[in-house]
Amino acid sequence: MAVSVDEAMSTGPVRDHTPPARRFGGRGRSVLEIALLTVLAVVMLFPVLWMIETSIKENRDVYAIPAKFFDFTVTLDHFKDVFVASSGRSALSASFLNSVVVAGVSTVLATVLGVPAAWAYSRFAVKAKKDQLFFILSTRFMPPVVVVIPIFLMYRQVGLIDTKLGLILIYTAFNVPFTIWMMKGFVDEVPAEYEDAAMLDGYTRLQAFWRFTLPLLLPGIAATAVFALIFSWNEFVFAIFLTSSDDVRTAPPAIAGLIGGTTVDWGLVAAASVVFALPVLVFAYLVRKHLVAGVTLGAVRR
Amino acid sequence: MSNPVPLTTDHPGQVASATPPAPGRSRRLSDRGLAVAFISPALLLLLAMSVFPLLWALYLSFTDYSATRGGPAHFVWFENYTAILTSAQVHLRALTTLIYVVGAVALQTVLGFAIAYLISRRTHGRGLLTTLFLVPMMLSQVVVGLFWKFMLDAQFGVINSMLGSLGLGQVEWLTRQRTALISLIVVDTWQWTPFIMLIALAGLTAVPKYLYEAASIDRASEWFRFRTITLPLVWPLLLIAVLFRAIEAFRLFDLVYILTSGGPGVSTETLSFHVYKVAFLGFNTGTASAYGILMVLVVIVLTQLYLRYLNKLKED
Amino acid sequence: MAAMLVATTMAACGQDDGATSAPKAPATIPELTKDPLTLSFIWFDWPPAHALEAFANAEYTKVRPNVTIKVNTVPNANWHDAMFTQFAAHKTDFDIPILDSQHIGEAVTNGNILDITDFVKKNIDVKAYNPYLLAAYGQYPQAETGKRDENASLYGLPLLGDTWTMIYRKDLIGDKPPQTWDEMISVAQKCQADNPGVSGLAFHQANGSDAAAVTYNTVNAVYGGNLWDSKTRKIDGVINDAAGQEAMDVLVNKMKPLTAAGSGNWFIDEVNAAVAQGKACIAFNWIAASGGLLDPKQSTLGTTREEILDKLGFATLPSQKTNLVPLGGMGMHVSAYSPAANQAEALNFMKWFEQADIQKKWAAAGGVPSRTDALESPEFLNAGPFNQVYADSVSRMRDMWNVPEYARLVDIENTNVNAALNGAKTPKDALNDIAKEQQGVLDSGSRKGGGGL
Repeated sequence: MAVSVDEAMSTGPVRDHTPPARRFGGRGRSVLEIALLTVLAVVMLFPVLWMIETSIKENRDVYAIPAKFFDFTVTLDHFKDVFVASSGRSALSASFLNSVVVAGVSTVLATVLGVPAAWAYSRFAVKAKKDQLFFILSTRFMPPVVVVIPIFLMYRQVGLIDTKLGLILIYTAFNVPFTIWMMKGFVDEVPAEYEDAAMLDGYTRLQAFWRFTLPLLLPGIAATAVFALIFSWNEFVFAIFLTSSDDVRTAPPAIAGLIGGTTVDWGLVAAASVVFALPVLVFAYLVRKHLVAGVTLGAVRR
Repeated sequence: MSNPVPLTTDHPGQVASATPPAPGRSRRLSDRGLAVAFISPALLLLLAMSVFPLLWALYLSFTDYSATRGGPAHFVWFENYTAILTSAQVHLRALTTLIYVVGAVALQTVLGFAIAYLISRRTHGRGLLTTLFLVPMMLSQVVVGLFWKFMLDAQFGVINSMLGSLGLGQVEWLTRQRTALISLIVVDTWQWTPFIMLIALAGLTAVPKYLYEAASIDRASEWFRFRTITLPLVWPLLLIAVLFRAIEAFRLFDLVYILTSGGPGVSTETLSFHVYKVAFLGFNTGTASAYGILMVLVVIVLTQLYLRYLNKLKED
Repeated sequence: MAAMLVATTMAACGQDDGATSAPKAPATIPELTKDPLTLSFIWFDWPPAHALEAFANAEYTKVRPNVTIKVNTVPNANWHDAMFTQFAAHKTDFDIPILDSQHIGEAVTNGNILDITDFVKKNIDVKAYNPYLLAAYGQYPQAETGKRDENASLYGLPLLGDTWTMIYRKDLIGDKPPQTWDEMISVAQKCQADNPGVSGLAFHQANGSDAAAVTYNTVNAVYGGNLWDSKTRKIDGVINDAAGQEAMDVLVNKMKPLTAAGSGNWFIDEVNAAVAQGKACIAFNWIAASGGLLDPKQSTLGTTREEILDKLGFATLPSQKTNLVPLGGMGMHVSAYSPAANQAEALNFMKWFEQADIQKKWAAAGGVPSRTDALESPEFLNAGPFNQVYADSVSRMRDMWNVPEYARLVDIENTNVNAALNGAKTPKDALNDIAKEQQGVLDSGSRKGGGGL
């Protein structure tokens, strides 16, 4: 079972039940630990806070030395600039929309292809199952910069360079292994006996899967899909090498493109980054129960 | 391919469910049909989008093909491979990548485990803490790279500004050989420490309570308990986490592209970044393909060795 | 999916026709379509790109109401890759690629852009230009510096002229800009000593794009060096001759110490930021990228354009042994893979764009024209404080190599100069490595295993 943040909060197996009085310095140690945790938390979160702060600063204050932590004028102009340009909708907002389409469709495709495969791998005796599964997993480990070369050659023959479909296909291909591995774990947890019982009642195997197992898998499917979505949403290498036009470009290369003109509008970069990160953080929160499985392609599940 | 078992902690019920109890002959056939129908679309996609391109790259790696110059590809057999393996430029990138992978993974393992350990000892606010710590990991590498570039800027960056307030001098984070590589390691550590933390936490919270209770009756020392109970139970999980991180770090590209673009000079160019240059600056597609194939081979071989080691560890 | 596999396999076996020479554009513009048409450009993301789109949509549509202009922009670091990967795909989403002058060789050799020699003869008044400007943005093989070979083929026409300007703080070093390179260095030195917190110099040092390379090339030219001998294709022994060594020494040992700590990865943006934040006495930047300096919203030098201009001066580069300055800017070309109707429209656009009155309007809209009459017009000279600098620099320009191997040559130079500037290599080693590695690239040709490492 996947470890959840909620679980971690409610149950606490690693507790020092020794009465503090008996242990010399037990309390002092606890204080020290809390202090250490706080410091670590501040260090880890500072960049995020600084990003949010920069996004609401005027550009003049962004470059101020020494840096201004509290004393600055708050402005929401940068957020406006993310969505609106002088000539109507900004290129950045168009790229956000492209990201929604590409990430959305590739996730749906990966789910549609991956979930049935995961079920089949879980339920049936498939020849060389373990080899197949390892092969599937290993495709996910190839360096994107390496894969992008032959993909590029392949895409140019079939006219998929600089198309949303091209990006969708490669993201789907990268997400299918993940979906299969992650979903196989969820399917394993649903007893096969449910389907057997249904089949005794006269349902076919397919009907049993569709009517009994699938509804039980829905939470798992949702979690898996969210992880696939996060991958497609954040992906950069394929996006920058396989696309170039405004109509196709997704958000990561578009945000990267904000630097390297003549002036860097760090306020805009920060605002764009905040807007771009928000959906991912919301989604990650929604699947917090399955984070461990999610980030290890389902390899670690308890 | 060896056994992927160490990667999974399989559900015990699975063995039984894999072979349905006493299935009728006709149903078994339809089961097979169903399995093929359900699995083959996914496998076909992978064949088309992963295997076929890789085979194509393998073919190109024996040629002098260039994606832009056109003309037929001539076979040069192993010339690309020998050129790569004997190139001082490649050796330099391999060393950089090695330092980076070892440095980053070691640092985030220690930090991640420490944070997980500290969190596991708290009763209150664990959920909130864990969630907060996880934020960096969810961000896009582009966002992480850009923003750290901004913060590490020697003149206007907030890091040097804070060092200045403390009376310390300016550090050239991204423009000195040593500091640039260290900066890459720090940024990667910032982003991926939560990953190790998350997995370590999964291991720590799964340690059965009674083990500690028994130990505390024995008045075992804290260090002894940590070494004999906590660590052995968390270790396998941690090793898997390290494997994942090492594979990811080995193929690092985005962060280099944005944070240093390989500089100063070529001192932070990783293997991935070098492949990119060979492939897209000179369009030496044949060489780049061979380079890529070698990188994939390194990943596969090292992963296999590592998994074998893990298996052995499990048996002991 | 299976169909795709088959298609790609077949293509893999019998691909590429081996066409390596550029196809020719017709001498006269074919009949233009009356249907709605989008004419697409590709450029990197910077103000001139947005200015071009706005300008063309406002003006060109007056003569061709059915045409919409779209300027696709990519990140600067991705510009070469974005164009040439599409060329490699034999399918482009742009009709007019805006190539750097140095990209021409690669594009021509691969047959990616049209040969427009006949078109230019018939439609463009070549006498209206400084011959070298016409050659730099269009001619291949490359022209000798300052000249044009009238028998050579043309593949492009000037779109945006550019060169470096020296930006100096009038309030810190006085109204009169330094005239020689040595004087410039000593003025910067004094300014830095007199004004704590302000560094003497700011210039491009990054290892991406052509940043550090252009900086070295500029100093190399000023100190009388050469990048190569184009006739014998010799680099080793030329770029690292005595003049080249002296230039590298000046750059690393005299100029670099006057820059801000950590400026070793600066490019256009960072130099502008340093100037706008009042952190540099003297800076060097591309003219086309200097407009933002006058924007009070980005600057701490003043709250109005006039206040900023009281402090900032723009001048042509100081000279030393020569008075050469780097040639920047880009030309317009026609993609060989565009539909015929778009190619016709592209030619028509180019003809339209190179007319005298349109060039003046382009100048007024913030562009840098190339026709001599436009360069001398008040529309241009009054549009920005740096435009006079450009007009004065035209006869002094020198370019890099525009051979097909450009991308690799510039990468070698960029990384090595950047290494020298940041102490990762000694200046001498860096220069000798540049010479050796670049010579290796020129000599090896493409048909050999292990190329490109």
